[in-house]
Amino acid sequence: MIAYHFGRGRARLTPYFFILPGILLYVIIALGPSLATAVFSFTDATGIRGAPINWIGFENYREFLLLGQAARDNFGALWRTLLFSFFVTTIQFSLGLFVAMLVNQGLKGTNFFRTLYFMPVILGAVIQGLIWSLFLYPLGGPMARLLEFFGTSSEFLGGAPAEAFAWVIVVQIWANMGTTMIIFLAGLQTIPTEMYEAAEIDGATSWQVFKNVTWPLLTPSVNTNLLLNIIGSLQAWQLFLVLIGYRNGTQVLGYMIFAQGFGQTSGSTSSAFRQGYAAAASIILFILVLFIGSTTQVILNRRERRIIG
Amino acid sequence: MSKKYRYMIVLFMVLTLILGACSPKTADEQEQPAQAEDVTLRVLVHQNPPMVEFMEAFNQKFEAANPGVTVDMSVVNANDLSTVTQTRLTANDVDVVDMFGFANGAQPYMKNVEPPNWQTLIEAGYLMDLTDLAFIKNYDEAALKDAGSYNGKVYSVNLGRVSYSGIYYNKDMFTANNVTVPTTWDELVAACETFAEADIPCMTAGGKDGWPIFVGAYGLTGSIYPDQAALVEGLWTGTIKWNDAKSMEMWDRMKIYAQNMMESGASGVGGDAAPGRFASGAVAMFPGGTWYASAIEASEPAFDWGYIPFPGSNDPEDNKYLFGKYDQGWVIAANTPNKDVAIKYLEAFSEPANYQEFANAVGFIPTQATATLNTKIGQEVAPYLANFRVGLEQYWVAPKGVGQYANPWASYFQPFGTFDDAQELADKVQADLQSGLDALQ
Amino acid sequence: MKAAIKVHKPIKWGRVGSYAVLIIFAIIYANPLLILINTSLKTLPDFMKNATSIASSFNFKNFIDAWTKANFPRYLTNSLIYTVSATLVFVITAMFVAFPISRRYVKGANIILSMFVVALFLPPALIPQFQLMLALGLYNNPIGYILLFTINPIGMVILVNYIKTIPKELDEAAALDGCGYLKFVTAILFPLIRPAIATVAVLHAIGIWNELILPTIYLTNKDYYPITRGMIVFQGVYGSNWPTLAAAVLIMTLPMLLIFLLMQRYIISGLTQGAVKG
Repeated sequence: MIAYHFGRGRARLTPYFFILPGILLYVIIALGPSLATAVFSFTDATGIRGAPINWIGFENYREFLLLGQAARDNFGALWRTLLFSFFVTTIQFSLGLFVAMLVNQGLKGTNFFRTLYFMPVILGAVIQGLIWSLFLYPLGGPMARLLEFFGTSSEFLGGAPAEAFAWVIVVQIWANMGTTMIIFLAGLQTIPTEMYEAAEIDGATSWQVFKNVTWPLLTPSVNTNLLLNIIGSLQAWQLFLVLIGYRNGTQVLGYMIFAQGFGQTSGSTSSAFRQGYAAAASIILFILVLFIGSTTQVILNRRERRIIG
Repeated sequence: MSKKYRYMIVLFMVLTLILGACSPKTADEQEQPAQAEDVTLRVLVHQNPPMVEFMEAFNQKFEAANPGVTVDMSVVNANDLSTVTQTRLTANDVDVVDMFGFANGAQPYMKNVEPPNWQTLIEAGYLMDLTDLAFIKNYDEAALKDAGSYNGKVYSVNLGRVSYSGIYYNKDMFTANNVTVPTTWDELVAACETFAEADIPCMTAGGKDGWPIFVGAYGLTGSIYPDQAALVEGLWTGTIKWNDAKSMEMWDRMKIYAQNMMESGASGVGGDAAPGRFASGAVAMFPGGTWYASAIEASEPAFDWGYIPFPGSNDPEDNKYLFGKYDQGWVIAANTPNKDVAIKYLEAFSEPANYQEFANAVGFIPTQATATLNTKIGQEVAPYLANFRVGLEQYWVAPKGVGQYANPWASYFQPFGTFDDAQELADKVQADLQSGLDALQ
Repeated sequence: MKAAIKVHKPIKWGRVGSYAVLIIFAIIYANPLLILINTSLKTLPDFMKNATSIASSFNFKNFIDAWTKANFPRYLTNSLIYTVSATLVFVITAMFVAFPISRRYVKGANIILSMFVVALFLPPALIPQFQLMLALGLYNNPIGYILLFTINPIGMVILVNYIKTIPKELDEAAALDGCGYLKFVTAILFPLIRPAIATVAVLHAIGIWNELILPTIYLTNKDYYPITRGMIVFQGVYGSNWPTLAAAVLIMTLPMLLIFLLMQRYIISGLTQGAVKG
């Protein structure tokens, strides 16, 4: 049992009292609607109040996972989602850590660098997409001119699906490294300078300092960043929408869900409302994310207990 | 916590409380009947700068002619219009709504398909029945029937047609290179070859956005299958396949269109950059919809261009159709508390003089018989108006489970997609469609 | 204040090496951003002709257009009110959730934590949330809109993990000194976790500031529009007025940039050092 020092009896209930607003807000604003989504997924709801709703059990799930070529395409999207998440997480995490440590040295001008690396986060997805669409404009954009200098050319986002996909990975990392960086920065503040000084006195090399002092003491922010990175990249789709649009061979699950729920797949703007089906598709993505996220969380918790106790 | 923080928190809570207290009453609270004075008419439209500009002027006129009425018009992105229409109708927070022409209805031969959203809204009782109102007679029969009716009743007045199957061409460049305006496929191929020899790219389109490429080829599809409603039925019943001989003709030509006619680098041109590129004289032709006309004119007012149907067939008779869709229309919320004002609003809008001004401003092909096409694009399409047909996209409803290639899209070809062989692509397209048809058994 | 910030030397890099890498990253980051600025300085016809060429003149008209046409003053105020209120409410309530969870002072802390972590994975629930807000009478209401942003699972995870770095012994010591729960959290814990609070506040504020789909649905009264709604005047159907849009975006990001610059002090503050010693 965890020792509580701030009071006994009635006073022991104080934490409960203060935790209530946060939990209530969460239940009403997030949990409630998501539960409703789960329920909708078993119906053929259109999302319009007053339209008939019928319980259809697992029919939506069957359609998404098993029906025809569409289901096989969905698994293609699933695979792409995992690929995307893997590359984005590993690269963004490492770069974020690396840059955070660089910036943490208190060198002159770090304020500027820090702010510059964080700017994309401030701008938001749509603007990030606009900037990179222009940057990667094949007919004379900066990147195109750079490649010309080296004697090659490319269609970038409009070219082969694999290349377009790779560029979205690049932009995703560019856009979000700033967040990873500041979380690590905050974490680096908790490491007392005395530890570094002691290690220096002991004659440790930079790598040893990192391995034995920095890395273990950064465990909470490592955990935070890993979790956020993985989850975020599994769910990401906005950059795909802005940079590529709906192109076969590039879609990830999040985008498929959005497109199918809002009828963006056939190019027509007056398709059906399919709230129930979209709900089922998002629950499937949720289960995937839940599985990977929980596994990650469990592994990280165990590691944390080993290191920090 | 320090005094400073406490002060800030209190200040902002007070601010938000004030804001909250000033929120307008919901429609439910406005149970007392709206008096003839003091009505706020809420109108929802999608973003389309020339249309919005016209509407703002029209709203001012309407307010002046109807004292006590304020028109509160909201603008949203076209992609969000469907969602916001749904939420605002549900919350009874809107009176007049801009809705695209009714399309993609479920046909008797289609099995296990969802009704389109406009039908769901009607069946749930959110759209007002306009059948007996006088002003709908200002609009032509076809528009009312094809774009605004359900089960014999009229729910929407449609305001205009757009065509997406034509080609803009650079008149000066044609004369300079001694090229006549093509009326058959072979002539189009020859024209492009002439331009190629003169080192002029034949065509451009917004390849980066994807859809401009296949929309540009809708004319090609249409000239092979002029009856698009029958095409859809044939695909569903299996009498037409995307890899039968007739379709192969289409695919073979699409390959030439995508690879030989389109300029290399088109896949990098954004949808909104394409008209400017054409107007700057960089290319000879630009397959696209009539909606690009104002962008072309804005970027280069002195530029001389023409518009012809895409000559996809070698029989000129097949190349005289313009395929397109019905664009914006008006509906009235069935539960609006401002019924009389809303009807008056649409009456005023539908007056021939006002409507004519509207059609000129947005460049639609008019749906009122009395309106004439005073714009350049209007004159270009006038000879083909009798042959306007609704396109495939407006009829097609995909069976559930079809793969992502189940469409006649030229953008599947390289460099916009991954296919190089027409037969291979045709087989894939049919297989993807078949997968959904088979699942129906 | 600046003098008090200690110089951390976690890794012995050559100064030159560090600067070299920093500058390389700076180029990678600055170049795309310069495009935004370049776009905002062009005229629309120039942009349509050649989107990526360097602006031939400093065309500040776009900024003036952006300010007036998008009704910046009114909408900027709205955005500020929404962002600041929601962030304040969130940060305060989140602190009182994160602390007992990470210390396990409430029963079922693990379950509650999992619940919040699961919230990270939750699917978007736009329509059900709308129907709930409508039923609660919070549609088209600034308070309802602000309420939507009083939660943030990402922020919660950051806070919980960060609080773990504050030793539990501090709680005991403070309690022995006669400090109550509320006083501890507000007077002792809060200053110690300032870096995390600043981080969370910045990320949360940016999310609210840039949000477009929620105000489109929930705030239909023009008086309530945040600036993201105001910018729609620059977006077309088949193409947008990118130069003016770029100018509007630059104006719009200024407040967030300022907030980040202000908060940076707290994220990097070295003031946390002394207090944590055992």
